Amino acid sequence: MVVGDISTGTDVLVIGAGPAGYVAAIRAGQLDLDVTLVEKEAYGGTCLNHGCIPSKALLTASDVAHQAGNAEEMGIYADPAVDLEGMVGWKDDIVSQLTGGVEKLCKANGVNLIEGTATFDGENTVRVSHGGEGQGSESIDFEHAIIATGSRPIEIPNFAYSDDPVLDSRQALALDSVPDSLVIVGAGYIGMELATVFAKLGTDVQVIEMLDDALPGFDRDLARPVKKRAKSLGIEFHFGYGASNWEPHGDGIRVEAEPAGDAAADGGQAVEEEALELDAEKVLVAVGREPVSDTLDLEAAGIETDDRGFITADDRARTNVEHIFAVGDVAGEPMLAHAGSNEGQVAAEVIAGEPAALDYQAMPAAVFTDPEIGTVGMTESEAEDAGFETVVGKFPFQASGRALTTGHTDGFVKIVADAEAGFVLGGHVVGPEASELIAELGLAIELGATLEDVASTVHAHPTLAESVMEAAENALGQAIHTLNR
Amino acid sequence: MVEEFKLPDVGEGVAEGELVSWLVEPGDTVTEDQPVAEVETDKALVEVPSPYNGTVAELLAEEGEMVPVGDVIITFNVDGETDDGGTDASSSADQTGEAAASGEETETPDSEAVETPEGRVFAPPRVRRLAREKGVDIATVEGSGPGGRITEGDVTAAAGAGEAVTESTTESAEATETAPAEDAGSSASSPSGQAPAPVESADRDRTLAAPATRKLAEEQGVDLNAVPATEQREGEAFVTPEAVMEYAEAQKRAQEADAAALASGETGPRETREPFKGVRRTIAKAMERSKYTAPHVTHHDEVDVTRLVETRERLKPMAEEQGIRLTYMPFIMKAVVAALKEFPEMNAMIDDENEEIVHRNYYNIGVAAATDAGLMVPVVEDADHKGMLQLSSETDELVTKARERTISPDELRGSTFTITNIGGIGGEYATPILNYPEAGILAVGEIKRKPRVVTDENGNESIEPRSVMTLSLSFDHRLIDGAEGARFTNKVMEYLENPELLLLE
Repeated sequence: MVVGDISTGTDVLVIGAGPAGYVAAIRAGQLDLDVTLVEKEAYGGTCLNHGCIPSKALLTASDVAHQAGNAEEMGIYADPAVDLEGMVGWKDDIVSQLTGGVEKLCKANGVNLIEGTATFDGENTVRVSHGGEGQGSESIDFEHAIIATGSRPIEIPNFAYSDDPVLDSRQALALDSVPDSLVIVGAGYIGMELATVFAKLGTDVQVIEMLDDALPGFDRDLARPVKKRAKSLGIEFHFGYGASNWEPHGDGIRVEAEPAGDAAADGGQAVEEEALELDAEKVLVAVGREPVSDTLDLEAAGIETDDRGFITADDRARTNVEHIFAVGDVAGEPMLAHAGSNEGQVAAEVIAGEPAALDYQAMPAAVFTDPEIGTVGMTESEAEDAGFETVVGKFPFQASGRALTTGHTDGFVKIVADAEAGFVLGGHVVGPEASELIAELGLAIELGATLEDVASTVHAHPTLAESVMEAAENALGQAIHTLNR
Repeated sequence: MVEEFKLPDVGEGVAEGELVSWLVEPGDTVTEDQPVAEVETDKALVEVPSPYNGTVAELLAEEGEMVPVGDVIITFNVDGETDDGGTDASSSADQTGEAAASGEETETPDSEAVETPEGRVFAPPRVRRLAREKGVDIATVEGSGPGGRITEGDVTAAAGAGEAVTESTTESAEATETAPAEDAGSSASSPSGQAPAPVESADRDRTLAAPATRKLAEEQGVDLNAVPATEQREGEAFVTPEAVMEYAEAQKRAQEADAAALASGETGPRETREPFKGVRRTIAKAMERSKYTAPHVTHHDEVDVTRLVETRERLKPMAEEQGIRLTYMPFIMKAVVAALKEFPEMNAMIDDENEEIVHRNYYNIGVAAATDAGLMVPVVEDADHKGMLQLSSETDELVTKARERTISPDELRGSTFTITNIGGIGGEYATPILNYPEAGILAVGEIKRKPRVVTDENGNESIEPRSVMTLSLSFDHRLIDGAEGARFTNKVMEYLENPELLLLE
């Protein structure tokens, strides 16, 4: 402790005000605990400020622009002009409305808010440094701590985010003009979402991916319509390459990429042996995220991490130090905002002595590409590996009246169930509003609903949600609007 | 089909047994002869094997319960039937029917027991939370909902069953727990300054309390899990700051009282209670019957076994070469058998029921052994037909089995005379209780070096250190007179003093 320092005490100290941290703080406040929330930057964390919300805002806006300019089929002729600065301003308003809301909610629930960067001083103390030099610091003693410091984009060699033409996802979402051309490194969900945004805004987008396909980690069935659509938007893919360097070239830059070696060919297209040189105005790197755990001096509190720096936590969100919890991205996969929020609630309830646990049958994931992907629970092969005898039902959006009227008919709903009792085990949607439709399948899994339950639930017509019912009927061999398997 | 299984007669004449522990749970697959339960009967812990191949359907006795022989304790589903038969089978049949009608290629579910793969639990979050609240492992709950889905009622029922078991097994413990908590309350508020009532630790695994209360407990050096809870929240013990202070003060008073008690030689709780059951109760009943049926007389003497000690020392290495640890017990057994042959009443018994004296022309020697579970008496059968080394190894083996509780009930019955070694811990003489209905029991003491008056061949007396063993023979005075008891003892002594006589046996 610094001489003359006065430490304050709190029941629960939450470090980080992202969707995991602020939810934990609010819940703890609701449970009558004295809570202090430390945030170094902005309430809402990556999700609200630099991730989910801004990217979805821009996806929507870019989609409006794109649709307006491509609606001849519907008899609409328009040539929309995009003012990216204006679009980003609109997005910023949304973000500020949300972050302001978080701050208000925290205060309304009795959470003490402190701005600064927290580092551990011991098992029961943190030091919070306020801003920069001369801003001072303070010590806070806590009975319980919840670490929710989140994650940040991984930087790759030779592509420093501090260099002007090199962007991370956050900087890409804050651009004030639409680049003519963009190289995106990484075809994971962040890379694919941003590729969609910029392609729809008229940017020439090229994607470099080390692996052999887009959206690695997702079922090939689900990734295929997304990649097909991306190609139709003019996005060019270079699979099996790793970005190695960049240099100024003309008015823009030239990105160099080397063959990754072991990646297989994509769709019969041979992997080129030679290095690639791609010219563009800017390069966006989206190769994954790493935990923000190195700024906390975890050793001082004896908190263990894995070899990638993620804090290990149990099903009560507890670290190896019993009174310290870790939630959200910093606690590892799944690095999803809603997973973090769930973990935050559990941590707060466990601290309050409630019988909470990370106890779910399925964690949904949504990708906001065009078309969207929504997935929850087991894939067919995962269910089989787990020992289930499975039955699968599918319904293509081609056969959905509502999908046809939206002009988006790519994709399908797939439902995976236990053949014997009919329990729904997994749901996978690629297509319009997949991120919304997946909720019904998640609920079915959590409630232990059977195919018959889903098929027998009357769905409003004409809606996209009918597709879920039809997929369940298909699995039962009684689909009306498609041929049964 | 469901097969019932009755508690078998695990040994001759056993009327009941305590079900010590179940080795299986409902739903477990068992094979024939696989042990399913441990049952403690008349001094022995035995494993009860399954007579079927199948799955466990229901456990009908609780651990700790005394079960009469012949009562159904467990049911099995055999011939591959599922344990939750009716509903499951019909619902899957329905589905198969639908699938078949619509031409779907759904495979007919096989008829083996359905186990949810990878521990998947089909229960809504509300029910899973309830299970956590009630401390029920939801993976062990059998679902009564459609397709085996677990409902709130299933969890509540499972919790109820668990509580019932806890209550029955910890009844007395709870009684001592609750009362002092109330006492502490009254004494704290009582101005009369009554003597401090000790507060028992609540000893929970989990306690709900506000952080400020936890801090208070820490300051007071009190373990929150030990503080008697005054409230319950969502089924869990909730401790208030007042309860912490009350407990801390009571502890302090109790510590002071303990210090005073320590000074006067009194330590620990004044009394604790435990159920009187199992082996201890069996032993007690046997002792009671013996003592109140057969009038006991105990005859004491001591025997100079200096030559026996020398003989054993000489023979020990030879026995060791054969892998046998030669103790004094086979010598004593041999001496006893020899004496029994001369005094057959000592090997006889009274059949009270038929009012007959039963003379036994076989010599089965019981050897009393102290085990963790209490006194057990393994029996060396036909000791008169066995050599010294065989007696030694057989006794050793039986005693080891008794101590490890792997001995069978049959190995604990049928003795005609019992020897008990009381010398291991200390003391000289004892009054052994007859291993009823035997007529005699001989307790041997430790062989100690003692001064003895020795007369040489010239009649000169001297005092010499000799090896001396005490003997305490109890006998059934209904059958044996005092003189006969003394003569029998003399005969035993003669053999022990002159071990070479045993060669003639």
